Amino acid sequence: MLKMTSVRKTFRTDTIETHALRNFDLQVEEGDFVAVTGPSGSGKTTFLNVAGLLETFDEGDYQLDGKSVQGMNDRQLAQLRNEKIGFIFQSFNLLPDLNLFDNVDVPLRYRGFNSAERKQRIEQALETVGLANRMGHYPAQLSGGQQQRVAIARALAGSPRFLLADEPTGNLDSNMASGVLDLLSEINAQGTTIIMVTHDPSLAQRAQRNIFVRDGQVTEVQTGTNIQELLQQTAQV
Amino acid sequence: MNQIGPIFRALLRNKVGALLLALQIALTMTIIVNAIHMIENRSSMMARESGMDEANQFHLMYVGYKDSFNERVAVETDLLEIRKLNGVVDATQINSTPLSGGGWSMGLTTTPNSQDGTPVSLYFVDDHGLNTLGVELVAGENFSPTEVTYRLSNDKQWPQNILLTEAAAKNLFPDLTPAEIIGQTVFIRDDEPMTIKGIIDHLQAPWVQWSNVNNVMLVPQRGLWNANRYLVRTEPGERDRLMREVEELLLAKRDGRLIRNVTAMDEQRDDAYQDFFALQTVLWVIVTVLTLVTALGIVGMVSFTVNQRRKQIGTRRALGATKGDIMRQFMLENLLITSSGLIIGVASSIALNIWLVDTFSLPRIGWHYLPIAMVVLVIVGQLAVLGPARKAANLSPALATRTT
Ligand SMILES: Nc1ncnc2c1ncn2[C@@H]1O[C@H](COP(=O)(O)OP(=O)(O)O)[C@@H](O)[C@H]1O
Ligand SMILES: [Mg+2]
Repeated sequence: MLKMTSVRKTFRTDTIETHALRNFDLQVEEGDFVAVTGPSGSGKTTFLNVAGLLETFDEGDYQLDGKSVQGMNDRQLAQLRNEKIGFIFQSFNLLPDLNLFDNVDVPLRYRGFNSAERKQRIEQALETVGLANRMGHYPAQLSGGQQQRVAIARALAGSPRFLLADEPTGNLDSNMASGVLDLLSEINAQGTTIIMVTHDPSLAQRAQRNIFVRDGQVTEVQTGTNIQELLQQTAQV
Repeated sequence: MNQIGPIFRALLRNKVGALLLALQIALTMTIIVNAIHMIENRSSMMARESGMDEANQFHLMYVGYKDSFNERVAVETDLLEIRKLNGVVDATQINSTPLSGGGWSMGLTTTPNSQDGTPVSLYFVDDHGLNTLGVELVAGENFSPTEVTYRLSNDKQWPQNILLTEAAAKNLFPDLTPAEIIGQTVFIRDDEPMTIKGIIDHLQAPWVQWSNVNNVMLVPQRGLWNANRYLVRTEPGERDRLMREVEELLLAKRDGRLIRNVTAMDEQRDDAYQDFFALQTVLWVIVTVLTLVTALGIVGMVSFTVNQRRKQIGTRRALGATKGDIMRQFMLENLLITSSGLIIGVASSIALNIWLVDTFSLPRIGWHYLPIAMVVLVIVGQLAVLGPARKAANLSPALATRTT
């Protein structure tokens, strides 16, 4: 489904080299709900960007749906992102000048759906996140939790196989965060594979699998492991 | 094009910036349309024929400064001698020429003692006038040698016969054909009739900006004032040599006169239209600078927008936009802004033209200027966006997660 083998990613500036991913190995199966934790700067976002085809990598192999993504051109990558992957961001990334309807519409237009199909999908996606009655509103008119639900609707509208979320609750209070997680669990229950980066151990525990990233490398951990402890250990090293 | 709806709706949310750019484009269109209209108007004025054989003609002035200078003897002998020179086609005395900027005009009427006649400019020539000027008769006859008289500077008398350009004749007798106009009588503000003996095809008055520039009357008289002018027509290629020879011929007479302003006709044309040319140059500079400033304004504005929207661009890329989609988005956005500017520009171009027509009696603008200017400005706009749009397209999709 999603398989990374010995993936390396190094950021180079004039003065420093940062090994963001080193020998990163991970296999995610269809229907998994994976929570990714790890200290800040350990490479979680880099992993998610590589997984979501937002960033290239230097070495190793990455297969998405059984196909190696290496050597694909911009158009092919864009098409994969558009059709197979839904993104959810920490700061929601809604387009401020578009109302909710048009925001959810963005990936559907790139997909080339006709307007009837788009309309039906947009309405259904907003229905799913409970915001169907706000379609004409603009992002600034919503609370953070509502904005993130719109972003989830936008990620879902194209029926992707994967949902990638980078700290989706990072900007939300715990009440709203819990609501967003309920939504993600529901979506996962309907078959969508989810990979979610979070620094909140209690949210990580609600995922079916937990992985811990440290220094650009991944360790599988038992769900329910005290991640707080792991983080502290890392800090001591 | 499937992105146009949301782009348009998003623009409406940011009206002020878009509107300012649209207004700049409208202003640019207004000014360049009217400037190019003026340039073309001047060009068409400059393209008008004087009616003369300019490449093979020159004229010069002589000024008698001694009391012993005899104007009548001079003009009679000078012209005989000049006409005999090798390479001279013909020569005449003439008080002024087309493109010279100075001369006489009078009002002609078809009834005696009436005011407000048809304005015509006057050239005093002899029976060699037509051949020297290089004009053709359309109807009637040239002056005969015997009807050429001498005129003193305080004379009020007018001769029996005159020739008119076809334009002047048509102004006086709109309903008659040239053949029917021959023999008709006209008056110069008194009851002394003059008969139209012939009609010539075309000859300009001395003033290039005069609205009656095609109204000319030829009068069969030689002027006996002590400063006057000869016009000489030569065989092709002989003019420059003859300019020197004629001057030397006249100076060699040592009869108490100066020779001044030996001028080739095509040189005189350049002088006559120097102001036009200067105006055209200034207008072209304005058009070019304004277009460049507008293009740079678009580059600056779009670059700024791209910078502001780095995260949005990354997000769109994450959601499946190709580089081409991002480019198209900025190009389309600019097309919408430019188009609305151009729609305002059509209205304001016409408004400015109406004002110019009223104030400076410029001709009405040709409608074809508007679509041409619109197409040009759309292309300028799209070219200006190209650079920043390409930069936007090359932004990393990772900006979606990397920017806060
Ligand atoms: N574009 C970049 N250029 C240089 N270094 C980067 C870039 N992006 C990330 N890094 C570095 O790579 C490392 C991993 O970053 P990241 O994946 O964002 O960590 P996390 O999301 O776990 O906090 C960090 O040291 C970070 O500074
Ligand atoms: Mg991160």
